[in-house]
Parts: sequence; C-alpha cells; structure tokens
Amino acid sequence: MSTDLHTLSGAYALDALSAEEAEEFRRHLEGCPACQEEVRELRQAAALMGASESVAPPPSLKARVLAAADQQPQLPPRVTTLERARSHRWPARIAAAAAAVILVAAGALGISRIQSDRQPSNVAQVFEAPDAHTATVGTSNGGKVTVATSRRLGKMAVETDRLPRLSGQEVYQIWAVNGGKKISAGLVDDVEEGAAMALPSPGTQVAITIEPAGGSPQPTSTPIIAVDPASV
Amino acid sequence: MSEHGLRLVPADGPADVEALIGRVARGDAKAFEALYDELSPAVFGLARRVVRDPARAEDVTQEVFLEVWRKAARYDSGLGRPKTWVMTIAHRRSVDAVRRSESQKRQDHHGAPDEVVHDEPADSVIRAEEHGAVRGCLETLTDLQLESVRLAYFNGYTYNEVATLLDKPLPTIKTRMRDGLIRLRDCLEGAR
Repeated sequence: MSTDLHTLSGAYALDALSAEEAEEFRRHLEGCPACQEEVRELRQAAALMGASESVAPPPSLKARVLAAADQQPQLPPRVTTLERARSHRWPARIAAAAAAVILVAAGALGISRIQSDRQPSNVAQVFEAPDAHTATVGTSNGGKVTVATSRRLGKMAVETDRLPRLSGQEVYQIWAVNGGKKISAGLVDDVEEGAAMALPSPGTQVAITIEPAGGSPQPTSTPIIAVDPASV
Repeated sequence: MSEHGLRLVPADGPADVEALIGRVARGDAKAFEALYDELSPAVFGLARRVVRDPARAEDVTQEVFLEVWRKAARYDSGLGRPKTWVMTIAHRRSVDAVRRSESQKRQDHHGAPDEVVHDEPADSVIRAEEHGAVRGCLETLTDLQLESVRLAYFNGYTYNEVATLLDKPLPTIKTRMRDGLIRLRDCLEGAR
C-alpha cells in the first residue's frame, strides 16, 4: 500500500480513511511537502462543496454557542514541545523514560470519571493554570499526547487530539496503575477534547490502552503510553 | 443571519475570516460572534447534510464553533484558508458523529446511495453564486467520481465502504475520489 500511499490523498481529504489508514497517511504527509500541498487544495475543494449546502441554523443556536464559548478557556498557541517542556518543567529523567512513559495518575485509586465533551473546559483550565506543567510525548501507536498538571487545581489533563483516531469499535481507556493493580480511570469519549481528572497521588501511574468500545474492566492490550508520577 | 443576508461579504474572503480568527485567538467575543454569523450556515448546512438529524446537527455545530474558539490560536494560515480550516473541523466532527452511531443511522440508507439533495441556500446572493459554481463543477465529474466523492463526503462512508456499496474495486474508488476532487478543484479555480 505504501507504494501508492500518495493516491490516498483524495480519500484522506474526504475523511474517508479508517483511523489506522488516516494515521499512516498523516505520517506519510510529514515527509511529503507535495502531498501536503495536494491535501490542502483538495480539502479546500471539499470545503467549498460542503459550504454549498449552507442552511441558516435556528436562531436559538447562536445564543447557546456564544454562552458556551464564554464558559470555555482558550488554548494557547501550540508551542509546547517535549524539549521545551522538559527543559523547564519536567526533570530530565522523564526524557529518558519518554518512550515508555507519560501520563499521570489519578488521585488515590479512587479516580472515577473522566470529563469529556460535556465539561471540556476542565481540560483547558488545567492547561491554562498559572502553575501548569506540561509535556508532550509520543505514544507507541504513532500519536502524541500532551499532559498538563496543576497542583494548585489538584488536577491533571491530557490533550489527546493528536492520537490516531480509532474505529468506532475501539476507545482509548485511561488506567491508574498502582503496585500491579489496574483501575479504570475512564474512557476518552472524545479525543478532540481530551480528558481531565484529579491529580494522581505519588506511587500511582497512569497508562492509556486501546480497548473495545465501551471499555474493559481490565486492560486487554499493551499501553500505548504510561506515566511515571515521580517525574511530575 | 438573515438580517445580514445582503451584506457584501466575500464568500470565502480570506482576509475577512482570517482577521476574525486572529481576533478570536485573542479572546475577542465580538469577533467570535461575527465569525459565527459568517460561517454558521456553512457549518450547520454541512452537519445537517451529514448527520441528517437537525438536533444533532445543532450539537455538532456547537462543537465545531467551540473547537474553533478553543483552538483559534493554533490556526495556521500556511495550512489552508481559514474557512477551509473551519469546514474541515465541521466535516470531521460530522463524520465522527455519524460513525459513532453508525449502526442505527445507516440502516435507513444502507445499500441505497442517496440522491443529491440540493437545499436552497438561505444565504446571500454572492454565496448562491459560489454554490452555483460548485454545482456546475460537480456536474463535470464522471458518475463514478461524483458518487464516490459524495458517498464519502456527505454520507460519511469510508472508501472501503464506498467500494462495497458501489461494487467496485478498492483501488478504483480510491483513485476516483482523488481525481474527482482534483477535477472539482481545477474547475473551481477556473471559475474564480
């Protein structure tokens, strides 16, 4: 397939690839400026086609959207890189551990739920906290997550929008891991929004696995990333 | 929106929308409102077309604008026009919504590719002309190009599913999606 990966640009611009294929294509794009240009142009054509379906939404929607935005902090420009974050936020040893680990743990082992798109502002709040520590790390399935912790808020958040998209049959599940015991910390319902949770207690690690839709009582796959809380 | 219907705004005015997004990135609520007025018909229209249920289309529209609000500072003009950025978010979220509920959503039209629905745009004259250009250009596609592009873009099918629906080999559909879009792009460029 990789020989004619390039010809997937049309399907990619139409969001018509499976999550895995889209991820493979994105990796291909990174090293192919000509493909990036083509995708940019094809997306523009697709966008014009989409805009040709314009219909005014009900007037009531506007107030709803404006009110919701008013409640929602904005993300800063994407400047966080592992290097930068590491240099002034995270102890250097996290770098060594980066391949194996990131994430953090959720409060005692009692972490119960992860906020998703119903309270997305929680993720942004953690990222915007004045004392936020952040780091971006690659995952074993070719994506990246950015983690932020704020002691002041007692929270941690994970930005998951650069994780490979999963098929509808799978979901990212977050785990608190302590002494071999693994407890679900919740599902990432919406990778665009990420997840926020209570700041983990020392000794608890957080891991992310890919599970069948609906989640699993115990992990059924190798974590794509795990976090050493001692590094936080 | 309708009260602004005759305002003379460029249909895809890069300067206009880009300037608005720049202000939104700095937390300007007025600019966000103006951006909503400018782009919500396009976003809602696309969402409604893809998810089909107007109430869900409203939810998707809200998600799209909240994402735009949150990520305005991360918009990169090097990656495309601002309106394309917003519509790309709108399409991805619409498709995600459809795929999340695909089993029930798809029962009604499985195996029966849709007819093209030409909604009358509730927009300005300028937009209507642009839409006319899109429709005219879509007519230059071959039947297979058009069906492939449409089933993917407006119904949220993957190219695998499109190949099954149209009973064509995978490489054929993959290629038709690409050359169909290329033809659309070239035609629209000529129409400008």
